[in-house]
Amino acid sequence: MSGPRPVRGWLLIGIALLLALGVAVWTTNGSERYPTPLDPRNPGPEGAQALAEVLEDEGVDVEVVRSAEVFDETAIDDRTTVLVTATDGLSPSTLERMRNSATAGRIVLVDPAYALVREINKDLQAITVFPDALDAECTGSPGLDGFDGLDGLRLEVDQLTVLSDDGAGGPLDGAACFAASGGSALAEVSGENLVLFGAGDALGNDQVTRADNAAIALRLAGGTDRLVWYVPDPTDAEADEAVAISSLLPRWIGPGLWLTALALVALVLWRARRLGPLSTEPLPVVVRAVETARSRGRMYRRSGDREHVARSLRRAARNDLAARLRLDRRAEPAAVVEAAARHLGVAAEPLDTLLNDHRPPASDQDLVRLAEELARLRREVRRG
Amino acid sequence: MVISGRVPLLLLLGLAAVVLRPQPGTVLLWLLGVVLVIGADLLLTPRPATLRTSRREPGTVRLGDPATASLLVANEGTRGVRVQVRDAWQPSAGATANRHRLRLPAGEQRRLTTPLLPRRRGDLHAAGVTVRSWGPLGLAGLQRTYDVPGTVRALPPFESRKHLPSRLARLRDLDGRAAVRVRGQGTEFDSLREYVRGDDVRSIDWRASARTAHVVVRTWQPERDRRVVIVLDTSRTSAGRVARAVGEDAADGMPRLDAAMDAALLLGALASRAGDRIDFLAGDRRVRARQRVHGVRDVAARLQEQMADLDPVLVEADWDALAGAVQGLGRQRALVVLLTALEPSAIADGLLPVLPTLTRHHRVVLASVRDPELGRLSDLGSVARPTADDVYDAAAAQHELERRSRMREVLAGLGVDVVDADAAQLPPALADHYLHLKAQGLL
Repeated sequence: MSGPRPVRGWLLIGIALLLALGVAVWTTNGSERYPTPLDPRNPGPEGAQALAEVLEDEGVDVEVVRSAEVFDETAIDDRTTVLVTATDGLSPSTLERMRNSATAGRIVLVDPAYALVREINKDLQAITVFPDALDAECTGSPGLDGFDGLDGLRLEVDQLTVLSDDGAGGPLDGAACFAASGGSALAEVSGENLVLFGAGDALGNDQVTRADNAAIALRLAGGTDRLVWYVPDPTDAEADEAVAISSLLPRWIGPGLWLTALALVALVLWRARRLGPLSTEPLPVVVRAVETARSRGRMYRRSGDREHVARSLRRAARNDLAARLRLDRRAEPAAVVEAAARHLGVAAEPLDTLLNDHRPPASDQDLVRLAEELARLRREVRRG
Repeated sequence: MVISGRVPLLLLLGLAAVVLRPQPGTVLLWLLGVVLVIGADLLLTPRPATLRTSRREPGTVRLGDPATASLLVANEGTRGVRVQVRDAWQPSAGATANRHRLRLPAGEQRRLTTPLLPRRRGDLHAAGVTVRSWGPLGLAGLQRTYDVPGTVRALPPFESRKHLPSRLARLRDLDGRAAVRVRGQGTEFDSLREYVRGDDVRSIDWRASARTAHVVVRTWQPERDRRVVIVLDTSRTSAGRVARAVGEDAADGMPRLDAAMDAALLLGALASRAGDRIDFLAGDRRVRARQRVHGVRDVAARLQEQMADLDPVLVEADWDALAGAVQGLGRQRALVVLLTALEPSAIADGLLPVLPTLTRHHRVVLASVRDPELGRLSDLGSVARPTADDVYDAAAAQHELERRSRMREVLAGLGVDVVDADAAQLPPALADHYLHLKAQGLL
C-alpha cells in the first residue's frame, strides 16, 4: 500500500514545478524577446521601452540597431544622437568602429564599465557609488548638445558609475554634471563627440519616473531629431578580443581532470573485477500442464472452427447433464433432453435446439451466446 | 590480478602534487609512481596456490532444511596471507554469506562455513572456490578460481507426511491391533478369541465354540508380505506444472513429477508399515532408478534418496521397457502403482499395449495428478462475461476432459483402477485406495 504514495508525491511536485514554470513564462513573456537591461523593446522593469516610446511620441526618430554591421550602414549626421546601452557587451573594437563612423553625431555611452572607460582614455576612472539624490550643477562648457536645460534637475538612482580623470588637463575638462564622490555621473570627453552617462538605471522602466530622471533621460536622448539606439551584440567583437575560458581557470585544472579521469578508470577496474565467475543454474524443463489445451483453443480460434467448438460444447453439456440426471453415459441425446426438460419443468423443444442443433453458430457472438446458455442450463440442472 | 579501492584513492591523492606543480608531466610521474607501487605490491603478494582447500561434503538434507558447506583452507606457504575466499554454489543451493575474509599465518589452517538453503530438489553442486590474495600494501592482489567439487543432495520434501498418522490408524483398525477388531472380508485367518459384545456374530466359529464353554470368534488380519511396485513416470507428461490445489496459480505450483513423488512416498511409508515389500522404479525411455526396499525401517528415506536426482525428461515414456522392468522385479503377484498423467494420447500410444500383460499378472492402479486449471478453463459458469477466446479455450478443455473420461473407461475396462486427484490430494487419495484394496483383500 505504501508503494504509490511517494510516486504521487513526486507527481504533485512535478506538476507544481510545471505550473510555476508556466506562470513564470507567462509573466515574463513581454521581456522574453529582448531580455537585455535598458533594451528599447524590453517592457520589463529593467527595460527602457518607456523611454523609447515617449521619445517616439515626441517626434524623435528612434532607430534601434542591434549589430555593428547595421550600424555601419546607418547614416549618422550632426542631427543624430547615438545612444549605447548594455555597454557590457560593447567590445573595444566595436567602440572604435562606432567612433570612426559616427564622427558627425554624438555618442552617449550609458553605464560604461571600467574596462571600456580605460579603453577610451587611460586617464579615465570609473567607480561605482551608492549616492543620495544628485543635483545637476553642471560645470564647464558643453561642446555638445544635450547639456543645456539640465540645470535644476535632480537625478535619483540607487547605484551609479562616477567618472573622473586625473585632474586639470584631463579628458573630462568639458562639461560635467551630477557631481558625486570626486567625479560626475554625466561627463563629456573633451575633443570627442562622446558623452558618458553613469546613471543607466535612470533610463529603466521602473526608475524613469523617480525625481527628474525622465527629464534628464529625454534631454540626453532626445536632444536631436534622430536617435540611433544601439544595443551591442557581443558577437560583433573580433576574435582576438574574446576571453578564452581557459585563462580564467587555475592552471592545475587540466592535469587535475586527467588525474581524476585516471582515478575513475582505476575505480572501474576495481569494481569490474568480480570475485570468481558467475555461478550458473542448470534450469529444469517446466511446462504449464494446461498449455496443450490452451494452444488447441487458440488453434480453433485461428481456424474459426465454430462447428467443431459448438459440437464439443454441446457434447460436454449433454454428458454433464446425463451424469447429473443419473442417466447412462451412453444415453441418447433425445433422452437427455427429455430428462432435463422433465427435471426443470420446461418445454423440451428449446432445450433440444440448444443441445442437439447441428448447425454451427454463424459468428463468434453466436458462439459465445450458445456457450453462455449451455453454462446456464448446466447451472440450473445442478441447482434444481 | 586485481586492484583494490585504494588505487583510485592513491591516484586522487596526486591532486595535491598537481596543484603544487600544475604541469601535465606531474600526472605522468604520479601515474608512473602508482604503477610502480602496485607492481611492487604485486611482486610481494603470496600466490593463491599456496593455499590448499578441501571440502567436507554437506551431505543430504530434506528440501527446505538448511545445510552447511564446510571448507578447510590451509596455508602451506612460508608467509602469512591475507585472502578473500568465495565458496560459490549454484544459485538454487542458496549459499548466502559465502564470501570470507581471513588472515592466515604460515602453516595454519582455518575452517570456513557457508550456510546453504537448497531451494531445488536434487543434487546441487559447488561452482568453485575463488581465492583472492592481497599484497602487503593492500593495493593489488592475485585471484584464482579452483574447482573443489562438492554436492548437497536435497531430498523431495515429503509434504504428505502429515497424512501418515491418520492412515496408519486406519491400517491398525484393519490389522486388528486396535481395540475395535474388524472382521475383514477375504483377509487371512489370524486367531481365535473369546466373544465380546459388539463382535460381528457372523465371525463366530461354531466348531471351536462347541469344544469350549465359551463362544469363540475368529479374528482376521490383513494380508501381509504382499508386493507393491511403485512406477514413477519421468517422461514428458511429468514435466507439466500444475497448481497444488483448485484456485491456486500454476506458476506457484509444482511439476507433476514432484506431486507424484509425494504420493509415492506416502504410499511407500504406509505399505512398509503394513508389512508389504516395496519395489520402486522410475524411468521414461530407460529405467532411471530401481530400488527394492524390503525389511527396512525408514522406507521413505530410501525412496527419497532414490528420487532426489530424478528430473522430468522431454521424451515419450517407453512403457515396454518399464513393464519389462516391473516383470523383472519378480513373478509374484503385486500391486503395481503407475504414477503417470492421465494424458489420453500418451497412454494410448505407450501404455495401453503393455497393460494386458501387466494386468494378467498384477493388480494395476494408475495414479494421475490432475490439473485443476483444466477444470477451471472448461467451466464457463465461473467467468462473468466470457469472450470468444474463453469459449474456444473452454471447448478445447472440455474436449480434453471428455477424452480423459473416455480413457478412464477404457482403463477400467482393462481392470485398471484410476486415481485422479489434484496435486495436494493425490497422496492421501492413493493411500486411501491402497487401504481400500487391502481391506478388500485384493492385493
